[in-house]
Amino acid sequence: MSGGLEQRYRRVLRVLPSYYRERWEEDMVTAFLESSLTGDPEEDEFITEYGKPSLPEIASVAGLAVRLYLGGAGAPRRYFAWGQATRWAVLVVLLEHAVRALAGLVFLAWAHRLLGWLPVPPARVLATQSGTGIWPTVWYAVGYAWIVAYLALVLGYRRTAQVIAVLAIAPDLIYLLQSQFGIGQVPRLVPWAIGPWAMWILIDLIPVLAMAAFHRDAPPVERRPWLRALPVTFLLVAVPLLAVEFTGHDGWVPGAPGLFCVLVAVACLVHAPRARSRATSGIWSLTLILLAADTGLLRILTLGIYPHDPRMIWTGLAELAVMVAAAAVVAPDVRGLSSRGSRGVAGAGDRARRLREPILAKIHPRPPDDAPALETAAGKNYSGLDQLRQHAPRTPVPHRDRGN
Amino acid sequence: MAFTTMTGQAFFVLTALAGGPRHGYGIVGEVDELSQGRVRLKIGSLYGVLDRLAADGLIEADREETRDGRLRRYYRITSDGRQALAEEAELRTATARVAQAKLGLLGGTLG
Repeated sequence: MSGGLEQRYRRVLRVLPSYYRERWEEDMVTAFLESSLTGDPEEDEFITEYGKPSLPEIASVAGLAVRLYLGGAGAPRRYFAWGQATRWAVLVVLLEHAVRALAGLVFLAWAHRLLGWLPVPPARVLATQSGTGIWPTVWYAVGYAWIVAYLALVLGYRRTAQVIAVLAIAPDLIYLLQSQFGIGQVPRLVPWAIGPWAMWILIDLIPVLAMAAFHRDAPPVERRPWLRALPVTFLLVAVPLLAVEFTGHDGWVPGAPGLFCVLVAVACLVHAPRARSRATSGIWSLTLILLAADTGLLRILTLGIYPHDPRMIWTGLAELAVMVAAAAVVAPDVRGLSSRGSRGVAGAGDRARRLREPILAKIHPRPPDDAPALETAAGKNYSGLDQLRQHAPRTPVPHRDRGN
Repeated sequence: MAFTTMTGQAFFVLTALAGGPRHGYGIVGEVDELSQGRVRLKIGSLYGVLDRLAADGLIEADREETRDGRLRRYYRITSDGRQALAEEAELRTATARVAQAKLGLLGGTLG
């Protein structure tokens, strides 16, 4: 009999992907209802009719949903692709934070004459970079923490990375709240200032939340390319920007949202030949689309920073248009991602079959010539650790997914 | 550096199934009892663990029964599951012994 409690729980389960519900929903509903009942018929009748799933119960389903949608090895291709693209996008954003922090460290060393072979930095630049008081100090310290967070994530210490990242975004939130409500000695924001909040939400909060994609089933981050990316990006992006700034041509450099648009556009154009050849798994293209969506939203929401400067608004729109056009070049590569053979690991379908086949065999006995096949399949899958490893989905991601 | 190869929840679920096939709620109750109430599995967490263990070939479906008009699916531990559980139990026992020795609770010296 289906009561209100069951209906409510089924509604909660709708957050799970359909392939998973198809397999586990009835089982989960039975277990949930049994766990909710007390054995007292009167009380149970009331619970069955009017009970609601508890918040921890809902949270456990939500956590499961995140793990399934941002799939790891063994997930269906579509969910694996979304999971991997999210993980790579998070790594890119953390790389950007880490490069910025590295630039800050290099500048600090330079300003204190620790890099003797470099010319003395111009006083004009030193003046803009120096700050006194608690907030500049906290900001610099937090900025350097991004380097640790990035390295921790790449090296597989995801919990450490998550904790550091959460701590790293906190000072900006406090500063924004102070500015919004005029608390303390910070410059006050205009009411409903969207731009600064958009920066914090899109560049800090969302990537930190998206770190949930680095769950237990996620394949390990490929260390070598991501470790190399830090100095390479520093040399290719941060050093030219610092040089431009120090030579007094910083007017040429767009603000952060515009710069991100340009960088994402360049990345799309660099990746475009591979994307158009369709020789890749498509996951890098999806990563770039995710980054373009985040950056595009940031660009739009920060246009309000220049309410009285139509030239800057037009420039911002041009930056956005360039990025959208570049993203459109790689977008076709994302279509049909789920049907492309992007992994060589056992999929969730295999998992389900392994669980269901013995039961189905009992409910609907097969003709005798089918039985050995079923037995063989089960025996082969579970006959030893080597066999287990062959079939286990949590093996490293094949080379094809890694570097394209 | 991880000292164990499986999560605490997975360890308790496998231990629960080592005593015989159980259905979802049966596992929740057994884990609660085994952990003396310290691990109370939510259903979403339980099926996340079961899904993983099944994917790794450590458990498999045993049978289905109908009770009060509802289908109950039972799971059992596989031979690989037993082996993995034995290895994990050994690892945890050794770790606990080291901790007890460090705390001077064993009455001997750590070798």
